[in-house]
This record gives sequence, structure tokens and C-alpha cells, in this order.
Amino acid sequence: MSSLEELKLELKNLGQEYAKIKTLPESERKAFGEKLNAKKSSILNAIREQEEAAESINIEPIDLTAPFGENTSPFKLTRGTKHPLSIELDHVAEIYRQMGFSVIEDRQLDDEFHMFDSLNFPAGHPARDGYDTFRTSEGFIPPAHTSTMQYRALTRFRDHLDKYGQIAVVIPGRVFRNEDVDATHEHTFYQCEGVFVSKDATLGQLLATWQKFFETYYGQKLNIKTQPGFFPFTEPSLEFQIEKPKSLGGKGDGWLEMGGCGMIHPNVLKTAGIDPEAYKGFAWGGGIDRLVMLKYGINDVRYFESGKLEFLEEF
Amino acid sequence: MLISLNELKKLVDINISDNELFNLIGSRLVEIENVEDLAPKYKKIYAVKVLDCEDIPDTHLHLCIIDAGEKMNAEVDPEHTDFIQVVCGAPNVKKNMIAAWIAPGAIVPSTYGTQEPFEISARKLRGYASFGMLAAADELALGTDHEGIIELDPKTAKPGDPIAEVLDLNDKIIEVENKSLTHRPDCFGLIGFAREVAGILGQPFFNNYIEEADKIIEASNQRVNQAHEHKSEHNLPDSFTVSIKDYGICPRYWGMVFDFKSLPTREPYLNSDDIFLIKAGMKPISPIVDATNLIMLKTGQPLHAFDYDKFVTVGKTNSPSIGVRLARKDEKLLLLDGQEITLTENDIVITSSDTPVALAGAMGGDSTKIDEQTKRIVIEVASFSLYNLRKTQMAHGIFSEAITRFTKGRPALDLEPAVASAIDAFNKLGGTELMRVVDTDPSLFDNNNSGKTYVELSTDDINKLLGSSYSKELIIKTLENTNFKVEDLGDEQLKISVPNWRTDIHIKEDIIEEVGRLLGFDNLPTSFPLRPFVCPEIDPMLEFKTKLRTILSDRLGANELLTYSFVSKSLQEKVGEDPLDSYQIINSISPELECFRQSIIPSLLDKTRENEKAGYKDFTLYEINQVSKKSWGLNDENVPAMKTQLGLTTFGDFYHAKHILAELSRTLELDFELRPISNSAMFEPLHSAAIYLDQIQVGELGEIKPYVLKKFKLTPSISAISLTLDPCLSAEKQHKTSIKLSKFPFVSRDLTFSVKKDTEFISIETGIKTVLSQISDIIYILEPVSIFRKPNGDQKNLSFHLEIASKTKTLESKEISDIIETIISSLKTLGAEVV
Repeated sequence: MSSLEELKLELKNLGQEYAKIKTLPESERKAFGEKLNAKKSSILNAIREQEEAAESINIEPIDLTAPFGENTSPFKLTRGTKHPLSIELDHVAEIYRQMGFSVIEDRQLDDEFHMFDSLNFPAGHPARDGYDTFRTSEGFIPPAHTSTMQYRALTRFRDHLDKYGQIAVVIPGRVFRNEDVDATHEHTFYQCEGVFVSKDATLGQLLATWQKFFETYYGQKLNIKTQPGFFPFTEPSLEFQIEKPKSLGGKGDGWLEMGGCGMIHPNVLKTAGIDPEAYKGFAWGGGIDRLVMLKYGINDVRYFESGKLEFLEEF
Repeated sequence: MLISLNELKKLVDINISDNELFNLIGSRLVEIENVEDLAPKYKKIYAVKVLDCEDIPDTHLHLCIIDAGEKMNAEVDPEHTDFIQVVCGAPNVKKNMIAAWIAPGAIVPSTYGTQEPFEISARKLRGYASFGMLAAADELALGTDHEGIIELDPKTAKPGDPIAEVLDLNDKIIEVENKSLTHRPDCFGLIGFAREVAGILGQPFFNNYIEEADKIIEASNQRVNQAHEHKSEHNLPDSFTVSIKDYGICPRYWGMVFDFKSLPTREPYLNSDDIFLIKAGMKPISPIVDATNLIMLKTGQPLHAFDYDKFVTVGKTNSPSIGVRLARKDEKLLLLDGQEITLTENDIVITSSDTPVALAGAMGGDSTKIDEQTKRIVIEVASFSLYNLRKTQMAHGIFSEAITRFTKGRPALDLEPAVASAIDAFNKLGGTELMRVVDTDPSLFDNNNSGKTYVELSTDDINKLLGSSYSKELIIKTLENTNFKVEDLGDEQLKISVPNWRTDIHIKEDIIEEVGRLLGFDNLPTSFPLRPFVCPEIDPMLEFKTKLRTILSDRLGANELLTYSFVSKSLQEKVGEDPLDSYQIINSISPELECFRQSIIPSLLDKTRENEKAGYKDFTLYEINQVSKKSWGLNDENVPAMKTQLGLTTFGDFYHAKHILAELSRTLELDFELRPISNSAMFEPLHSAAIYLDQIQVGELGEIKPYVLKKFKLTPSISAISLTLDPCLSAEKQHKTSIKLSKFPFVSRDLTFSVKKDTEFISIETGIKTVLSQISDIIYILEPVSIFRKPNGDQKNLSFHLEIASKTKTLESKEISDIIETIISSLKTLGAEVV
């Protein structure tokens, strides 16, 4: 290989070659010029290579497969993290907002009226026992489902019926049940409730709406199916299932149970001051923890409230 | 609940594949938890005849020669096609009996599908070759009996018959999720279940006991009247009465006395009724008890049988009188399982005269138990309050098949099918009905004598709610298939008469659900609601929390936690909170989760310690969640006032926490102000401050008291921020643009002042800023660089870096020196000497 000096000399000489262009016939000039240009750029590249090599002469090879360098400590990044449930609740709320639903806050101490009376649970009915509710000595109830917010959503947005012809609200929230805790059961977990009311709401619209949410959430078309259910506050009542999405390893055969839904019971509308003859509504609610567990392959629900950095730093 | 597919097929014509049927049931009736296919369990198990049976000396074993049919005989030993040799230890094996034989190579059914399936082989026992095994009920998974081997009826079982055929075990057992039928007491019987299956298959359902119940009862009634006319002949009392104290606990009670010349005894063979019970998860006991259980499994209505003579004896009266009342406090009752219970005032008891003889709906009493001497029985068919029975179930821990059904609410007007079935069943067992009493709440017939419920609605009501377009004809047929009576009122109006067993149907929507469900919700056309052109709202708190999390996690490197809303009293006491100011959970899971929390920080200190123990250092934890205190009172909805609070803990001193708050202040554009704290249970007063916003205290910040940290086993220098977020939403935003630009160059100077150690930093900083603010046309940046004090020194040095520029010209060095001189001399009046 030529030395750097030689290359620089060559480059200098090239200048004189260029001068010869004028002496050539018009027809040959182009080809001659192109040839010189090519030569020049190859000399310039060679010079650059040599100069670069000269600067890097003291750089020794390293082990690219090692996690950190020789004689240094392992990296310890202090990384801020958001709780996976917070991230998912925000994400879910955002999808519903884009679909036209307002989003409101829950509350963590409530009463018999919001938990049961306003939802058409007959007084003293065993269905009230079916929710394994906690109670305080004053008779208040940490809500066992986000449906406790239905009455508030309906009354708060009642004026929307006149203004916009509909109520469309979702309520994400923390709920509590007196259950033994194990890998799939927590006494504290999260749900998201949806409420829609209009003059011509139908069960078909309910199915389409919830299906659309999951299709958006999972970014694919999804088949749905239902099972008859029983909730005092909806009639008809259904359990809702979606086809297992591809992102969760679904191959078009498995189903995931996503929660309960139905047409809002006329008594619930009536209690909230909405005429059930004039307006129909639908409501649905499902768990958030399971969505997160499936998404990230978390196999134990107890991690969520464990406060373990080891777990949280995964997100 | 377990449903036999074969039994279901006897009641409904099923013209689709089993799997299609299970899917259809799942989508239109009830969740199926599991389907167990019995057939593979009973492969290579045969009826065999014991040709000979000899004791093997000095053992309990018997050497048996059996005939398993020519084919099996030959398969076991081609040399002997007429018999097989088996060693059997059962005490009841005897010559000429028909037994069940598990062939070599077959799996013992009770171990089928388990972790360790047991395969039968040919082997030698005490020197005798033994091929296969004669089986007991438990080995065949047909009960728990292991006393002896099972015996088959020679009339129906011939040697070599596969046992699955003999005992109807080529069947599938559907396990239904009870919870999804809470509101459907009618489906807790095979007949009711079959009716629904017919309905979802689009077929009309017919059942004799439903349609013919009244006729059967009437026919028997005539026999009862005849018996009454000859009462001395039958040795009957003058009267037989039932009295219900309160129709609220028992709206209807039906008592019948059957006379048996001699009580029927069990055959030694497993019969089809036994198999029915076993498939339903029950156990054959005696002909009378089995009959009541069979009726319950078919109609959904539990029955109870008392010994009539014992019943009369307990009542100490010549005229037997059945009573239904609530138990009195501390009344005792010996149940037929031998357990004595102390009754509660919620329990319903059946009495003879006034003495309790049964815990209604749950279990009979020992004193009226049927035994071998029983000649006459009292059969009870009744409906009890599900509310009371539910509490009884919990109080005494009784979870029988009967109480499971009663707690779904047995319809009071739907007792007839069970009564008719009982008359039929006991007649067949040789019993004659001699006496009968019925007591019914008259208010059940208040409406229109018949006790019937009617719902009127239009086809439009149905189609508008479902989003469907079903024709009137289809709707009528669908409802009639499951025995609703539909009257076409014309003009698309329908009047629907609700069957007695459907106590769950009252309003239009209930009928709409039936139509939608029976025709399949999954077949409904779907469409989207139209949206108005408005921007959906979001609660400002939700948005604020999201923003806060982004700042804390993404910008400041903190880790968000979620911890329980319930904490222990001891946790609260550690930080000086008064547990009595917390809402107490009366049914908490553990003392760890007894109090609704008043603040977030205690939970975080707990988790700080746990993470530190796990090897983490220098981390910042935070949580945003709701808290409440009783002393905050109730809000205008009369529910506890709650606040949303940010709690944050971090390793470091006061200034560390202050730095985080300053960052929040800047990014949230909120002008937080710090004021001295006079008294705090959690924060060290000299190293912490109260956070104010718009003259209201919104939180505290600073170092946690070493005393408190010690209780958490944490070492000092942990700081925290506690901030109530609600006032932050309403506070005025401070839009501060601090962009400082000049086209003329900035000049920088460093300044250090020596001040007394207790001089407040802010007085010096303000002093400098005051001077600078009086000079026209300049812009500046003043940054503190260091605060230095020698150990035990009385003075400290405050150093600043100042950058200064004019908006109108390039500053000359003379001008700069003048400004610096002004600052120095001005600060001298504050006792600060330039260094």
C-alpha cells in the first residue's frame, strides 16, 4: 500500500491531469473527466482510511459478548417505573375515550345504596352475599365491583341525554372482595365499568362496542361469544368471551372470559331518574389485572400489590 | 350439579353431536365446567359368572373359576375357552353370583385419568395364577363401598357382557357451574334442565309429571278419602294437621302419609336407579331415601321422609300435628347424622306438636329417622325461605344436595310435580297414601286466584332491545317450547303466562332475555351506536395522576407501587396515627388488613424496608391512591370523605425531598410554599416542612423521625413527601416562562459570601436578586453553587454563580464591577461579607 505521503503526492499530481482536459477534443472530455473523478475519490478514500487507522492505533479489541468491561462493576441503572396496572388502566381508558366514552374516577369507600340498592338487589337478597363484600363498622362498603359507580355515572351525565342524546362513560377502579388470596385470586383488584344509554340502545350494540374495544386493545379482528349470566342490575345478562388473541398465542380455538354485561335493568335507570320507557342502556365490566397478567405472562396476581422492586423493574 | 347425557336424551330428542350440544348449552343455558366421558373408564370390564369358589387354606383368599364369555375366556387362555381362574379376597364372593371382572390389561376405573393409573395384569398369588380382578364398587368408581365385590342382576347381565352396557356407563356426565343458575331453581332438576335443552334446540318440551301432576294427585286423593272413611280399619287418627307459624319462612307445606305393609328392602344388585344416583354424585341408601333423592334430582324439589309412628310418639298426641316455625334460642336438635346442634333464631324447624324433629330444608332429626322397623312414613314436600336457609347453611355448615336447591328458592306453586312423582314412586314400592295435609300462604293467590304471573309486551319491545328482527311466530314458538303460554292479543301484542316454576320472571325484559337466550345471543346482528360530535370528558384527577406518574417515574426515576388500601393497627401506631380514626373493616381477612388507611407513607416505609432487605439501595418509591379518616366526616352523598394522596419515600435528607418537590412545582406549574412544621408524628420537625398551596396546607415533606424509622427497622436518612392532590387541581397554575435570551453576550462572575451559620439562605439570595432587579435593561441567571461550613464553625460560605447580560448593549467590565460592588455593599447590611 502507498504511504500517506505518496497518496497526498498522487492527489497533487492529479491536479495537473485535470488541466489536460482543455487540450482534448470536446467528445473525449466527458469520459476523461469521469475517469479522473473516480481516481480522485479513490485516493481521498485511501487517505481517509489511513488517517483513521492512525488515530485508532492504540485501541485494543474487546470482548463484545461480555456484559461489562474488564475491571469495572456491573451496571446498576436506577430506572423509574410506572406500575403495570396504572399503565394498563391509562391505556384502556384512552381507547374508550377515543371511542367516545368519558372517563370518571371511582371511590374506595362506598355504601349499601351504591353497592346494592341502586343496582336493583332486593333488600336482604342472598345475591348481596355473593359478592363477598367487606364492610366497615359503620356499614360502609369498599366496593366489590365498579358497578357501584353506575348510579353516579347515570345521574352525573343525565343532562347529556337531552344535550347529546346519550350517556357514554367508563369507570376504571379498584375493588375489594373478601377472598382467600392465591396465585389467581386477590382481595384487591381492578376493574373497568362501561355504561351507555340512549333512546335506541340494543344488545347488539353492546356486543359490538365491547368487541371493538378488545379488537383495538389487541390490534386484530376477534370473534366473540357469550354465555347467559345473572346480575340483578342487567336484564338480559351475559358473560362475554373473546377469541384468544394471536399476541397471546391464540390459534383461533381458545376463548378468554372477559366479564359480565347486559342491558341495564329498568329499575336501575328509574332509580337514577331516567325514564326506562324512553331510554335503554347497556353496561359491562371486566377485570384489568388479568389483561395485564396475560399481556406480560405474569403467573401470580400477588405480585401486583407486593411492592417488590424486583417485579416492578420489569415494566 | 352433574347431569347424565343418557338421562337427558331420554327426555329430549337430541339431533346434534354431543360436542355441538355442549357448546349450545354453554352459550344459551349454563356454563359447563367439565364433561366426563365414562366409556373409556370401563373398557375391558365384563360381567362374569362365578362357576366355582374355594377357600385358599390359611388365607382370606378364594380361588375362583369364572366364566367371562367364550371370547374373553379364549383371549386369557386359548387352552381353556370355558373358564378363567381368578384369586379374590372379597368376603361376599360366592358360587353362581354374577360379578364385575376387570380383565388383564384394563385400568382400574377409580385410578383412570389420575397421576398413577393402575393396570390389572395376570399374576401369581400364593402360588395360584390369577387373571384379572373381581371388582368392588369403589374400584369401579361407583361409590365408596369396599366391603365386598359388586353383584349384578342375573336377569340383565350375562357372562361376557361389557359392564358399560349392563350398567349404562357408555355415558357422558356434564358438570354444570351451579353459580350460573343461582336464579333458576327449576334447572336444578333433570326435568327443568331438559326443558331448557329442548328450548335451545327449538323443540317443544313435554313431561308427564308436569302435565299430569294434577290427575295423579287427584287419583290418589280419592284413595285418601276412602281411607279416611275407613279410618279405624286403617288405624288412623281423628285428625292430621299442619300449621305454618309464618308464611314468610314457609309459604307452602305438603304432608303425606304412606303406609307400607312391610318396608321395601334393597336388592343385592346395582339397579338403574342406583346408577342414576351414582352418576348424579349421590349414594344409594335405602329404597325410601333413594326414591326421595331420585325425585329431587328429577324435579329439583327436595323431599323429606319421617317415620310416622316415631313422629306421633315425639308429639305425644293421638292426632299428629306438623308445625313449621323458627327455632327458639338455644333449642337443641339431634340430627340424623348423630350430630347435636344448637339452633339459632333464624333456623326453621319442623315440629311434631311443638318438638323440633327436623332442621327444615337442611337435615332430618334423629328422633324420627326411618329404620328397618318403619311401616308408615310422612313425606314432606315444602318450600322454605331461601334467606333463612342460606343463613342456616352457613351457621351449621350443612351443604347437602337438598339445601343447595332450597337456597335457590323453591317456587311454592311448583310442588305438584314432586308430589305426583312421590305418589307414583311410593305406590310402586308398595305404599298407599292414607292421609294428606296442605297449608298454603293465601297471598300467593291474591292477584287473580290462579297465582299466575302475566307479562304483556309487543314484538317490537323484544326486537328493539335485542337489535333483532324476530317474527311474532318465531317468538311465540320459542316461548311455548319451554312451556310459557302465549296469547296473541293481535297488533303484535302478546300476553305471556309465566309457568309456576319461573319465579324469576316479572317484567318485559325478563321475557326479552328468554327470547334472546333461547334463540342465541350470539346470533344477534351487531351494530355501533351513533356518536355525537363532542369531545369525551376525563376526570381532571385521572389526567393529573397520569401526568404526575410520568414526571415521577420517567423524569425523576422513582418507582410506582400499588399497596393495599387496608393496613394494620400496628402499622398505623408505628407512625403515630390513631387507628380509631380509621374506618374499621369488620370482616377483614386478617389483622394486617383491618383499617382503611389514613395515609400512604406507612405502607411505603414497610415496602422500603422489604426492598432494602432484598438488597436494593437508594431507591425512591411512590404511590398515588385514596385515603380517608373518620374525622374528615361524610361528603354530600353521605359516604366517607376521601382524598387522593401522593406518598413518596426516598433515600436522602430533607433537601433530597425538597428537590423532588421543586421539580414537581416547576413541571406542574404549581407554586408550592414551604413553612416550618411545628408538630408532626411522622416527620422530624427540625428537618421537615409543611407544604402550602394558595395559603392552604396540602402536605408535608422532609426527614422521617429516627424513632419512627427504627420501628420499621430502617436506618436514618429516609425522607418523604405526603401531598394531597385534590387542592392541586383547583389551584391556579403559575405559567412561568423563564427563557432568558439576549443578543448581547453574558458575562459570568462567581460570588461567595461569608455569613453567620444561622443566616437563612433565602435572605442572601433575595438580597442579591433585589439589587439586580433594580438595574434596568439587564437579564441574569443566579445559581447557588455551594454552601460550606467548617466543622463546628460559626460562619458559613454561600457561593453563587451569576450570569448577566444587557438587553441593549455589550456590558463593559466597568459596568459589571459596579453591579458587583453594589451587591457586595448591599449584602454587607445583611451581615454578609464577600470572600
